[in-house]
Amino acid sequence: MGPTVQVRFTEGFARAFTGGVREFEVEARLLRDVIRAMNERFPGLGERLVEETTVAIDGMMHETAYFQPVPPGGEVFFIPKLEGG
Amino acid sequence: MSAEAKEFKWVGTRPVRPDGVPKVTGRAQYGADYRLPGELVGKVLRSPHAHARIRGIDISKAEALPGVKAVVTSADLPDHDFAYIGPERVAQNFWHITRNILAREKVLYEGHAVAAVAAASAAAAEEAVSLIEVDYEVLPHVIDVDEAMKPDAPLLFEDMVTRGVEPAPEKPSNISKRLEFGIGDLEAGFAKADHIVEESFKTAAVHQGYIETHACMARFDADGQGEIWSSSQGHFVVRAMTAKLLGISPGDIRATALEIGGGFGGKTIVYLEPLAAALSRKCSQPVRMQMTREEVFKATGPTSGASMVVRIGCTGDGRITAADATFNFQAGAFPGSPVMNACMCAFAPYDIENARTVGYDVVCNRPKAAAYRAPGSPISAFGVESVLDMLAKKVGMDPVEFRLKNAARQGAQMVYGPKLSHDGYVETLEALMAHPDYRKPIGPNQGRGVASGFWFNGGGESSATVHVNDDGTVIVGSGSVDVGGSRASMALMAAETFGVDYDKVRCVVADTASVGYTHVTGGSRVTFATGIAVHQACNKVIDDLRQRAAMIWDVDVDAVEWRDGAAHPAGANVGDFEPLTIGELAAKRALTGGPIGAAGTTNAGAQAPGFSSQFCDIEVDPETGHVQVLRFIAAQDVGRAIHPSYVEGQIQGGVVQGIGWALNEEYIYDDKGRLENPGFLDYRVPVASDLPMIDAVLVEVPNPSHPYGVKGVGEVNICPPMAAIANAIDGAVGARMHELPMSPPRLLAAMDANGAGGND
Repeated sequence: MGPTVQVRFTEGFARAFTGGVREFEVEARLLRDVIRAMNERFPGLGERLVEETTVAIDGMMHETAYFQPVPPGGEVFFIPKLEGG
Repeated sequence: MSAEAKEFKWVGTRPVRPDGVPKVTGRAQYGADYRLPGELVGKVLRSPHAHARIRGIDISKAEALPGVKAVVTSADLPDHDFAYIGPERVAQNFWHITRNILAREKVLYEGHAVAAVAAASAAAAEEAVSLIEVDYEVLPHVIDVDEAMKPDAPLLFEDMVTRGVEPAPEKPSNISKRLEFGIGDLEAGFAKADHIVEESFKTAAVHQGYIETHACMARFDADGQGEIWSSSQGHFVVRAMTAKLLGISPGDIRATALEIGGGFGGKTIVYLEPLAAALSRKCSQPVRMQMTREEVFKATGPTSGASMVVRIGCTGDGRITAADATFNFQAGAFPGSPVMNACMCAFAPYDIENARTVGYDVVCNRPKAAAYRAPGSPISAFGVESVLDMLAKKVGMDPVEFRLKNAARQGAQMVYGPKLSHDGYVETLEALMAHPDYRKPIGPNQGRGVASGFWFNGGGESSATVHVNDDGTVIVGSGSVDVGGSRASMALMAAETFGVDYDKVRCVVADTASVGYTHVTGGSRVTFATGIAVHQACNKVIDDLRQRAAMIWDVDVDAVEWRDGAAHPAGANVGDFEPLTIGELAAKRALTGGPIGAAGTTNAGAQAPGFSSQFCDIEVDPETGHVQVLRFIAAQDVGRAIHPSYVEGQIQGGVVQGIGWALNEEYIYDDKGRLENPGFLDYRVPVASDLPMIDAVLVEVPNPSHPYGVKGVGEVNICPPMAAIANAIDGAVGARMHELPMSPPRLLAAMDANGAGGND
């Protein structure tokens, strides 16, 4: 496993999928590890994260994807996906 | 070397645009220009009613008409499960989409497609359309968003229960979804405020107004293989959606992007392509379709009209303590307005400790809303930036200084959750303050207005190929439709990466069979994401060229470095070799391994958001209520302008569309829900004679996550103009405008209500 990272959800997402809990700590090196860890705690959540969110890693926006590295101690904030014109 | 410090030879220059000659000579092929032997003409039967149940459709007379080769209705398309697939903002519910392509149980807006015909001539197709008999039961309709939210409003979907509300409502309504974002403690924040302003606003639905109407050609053979040529913002999305709607594999469709005469978000989805494909599949002949302007207005997505309430408080010295807003957005006939974006962008330029945004997505009997330039953000910016102007006046601060005092910097907490990752906003405000026109005096009945805007900008999936010809010229192929100059920007970045002259690089838009998946040209993503794919492919080719030079020189590849378009010995101890140019290496390609080329693919992240700050001077004619825009200055953080002329054009275009949204554009419906102004004569977009020169100020705060510092530039410029003009009108005549468009009759009414006069 890897170093600890902070996982954050919006209030609405947490209410729907994590019993209202918005903050978690998981061990991860890649976003894949974060998704796997959250799916272990809340079965089915991994697919929701991939399908419904984009992610801010220390504020930097990325598509929610397995390959993104997450820095030790970093903040991984899942937010609803965006679309432009 | 970082993008910030590096000197560039090509990036930042203004070469002649590569698409110029075909476009000015008329040789460029747009959607309606493409022709195939044996083609048929397709036409659509559209609903005359805003809301009606379809009891039956009889196509027998149309099918019997000589020259008619195929007729399709919804019965020719597979139905889909009711399921939202994908992320919430872009969640696609194909149960809805297939009903928008061809109505099933009900028609939900005037212009809703009911059937389509392919015939040997346009006349035969039109006659066949007139022979289709539809038995309608006309139903009550609702157009306005606030009316649609009322408990007794006519329901578009009798079983629609609002999502995002707990417990779930017991009764159905037109409210598809409620969403909310929040940080801090609103009550405590407002308690600290010395001044609180709360105002309600309305905005009109406005169309993207692209000059080219939707058009396509589809050809399907007996083996089930098909091709589509169309004017769109993304041929991979055309392929994917058409395949899904027809129930076939994307691998059975090859989609080609033709030139596009504007999209602004409205061509990121499909309307005609599935119809042309279904017709062609039925008769095995090519089918060409093109919308009239009236069809575009009645049947394709504008952006949402909206109502909103914005409440912001600040201290006596101008520090914002709390902000709260509720946005009600028309989604049109099916759920899916950009209200979530509005909620996320509304307060994003500002560092506000306590904030909340609430959004409602509401269906009504209008065409389904589609993306339009920074979808949602301009609407929320109108309300928020108007209220900020009122607060600045209350505390006696210059509106730019007020915004500077509250500006979000890197690390500021955003209402949608994470912290802001990039600077750029402050720099746009400083650019306004430094602009020589900002302190110029204004005359009687004139006003100066300031406003800002935020847009996330996009990244995501893009692909590119790079090939070297035997004379060293370079071919770049990308999957991005060129809407705003991407062929030029990709060629510039390739020239910079290779170290060759710009005129040695040619860039093409490759079809879906010739390059990897590439998401739409939208979200201000292409120069960033596709640029990364091109840069990656170029570097793969450079690595290959270094290998080949090493082979020729009999040295290790690490002893070869690439600069200025040639392989050079990395040091004096490598040997006494003359540089090998890209052309010299290409000429020896067979000797050294064969054709030279590579592909680049990315799912690009760490894109930086865009900020725009603008001010304008306007003059109100107190007798007519006409507003003349006298001066418009638009400062935007562009990261780095790859081709500054295109970037300036994007800024000018966004501002002009914002001026139209502010002053003129709206849909006017009669009491039966029929659109009364479906043409550019009555739906008035700004023309050159309405406008001053838009002064685009390029602020460059490079994005360190892109090899050339790129940030998206296409959208954020449309966010500030509506509020900037409203604020200027208030300054000119003391009338605070709460509703768009701020047309002459509406402005006169506001002036009369206020007893407002000019500022002379």
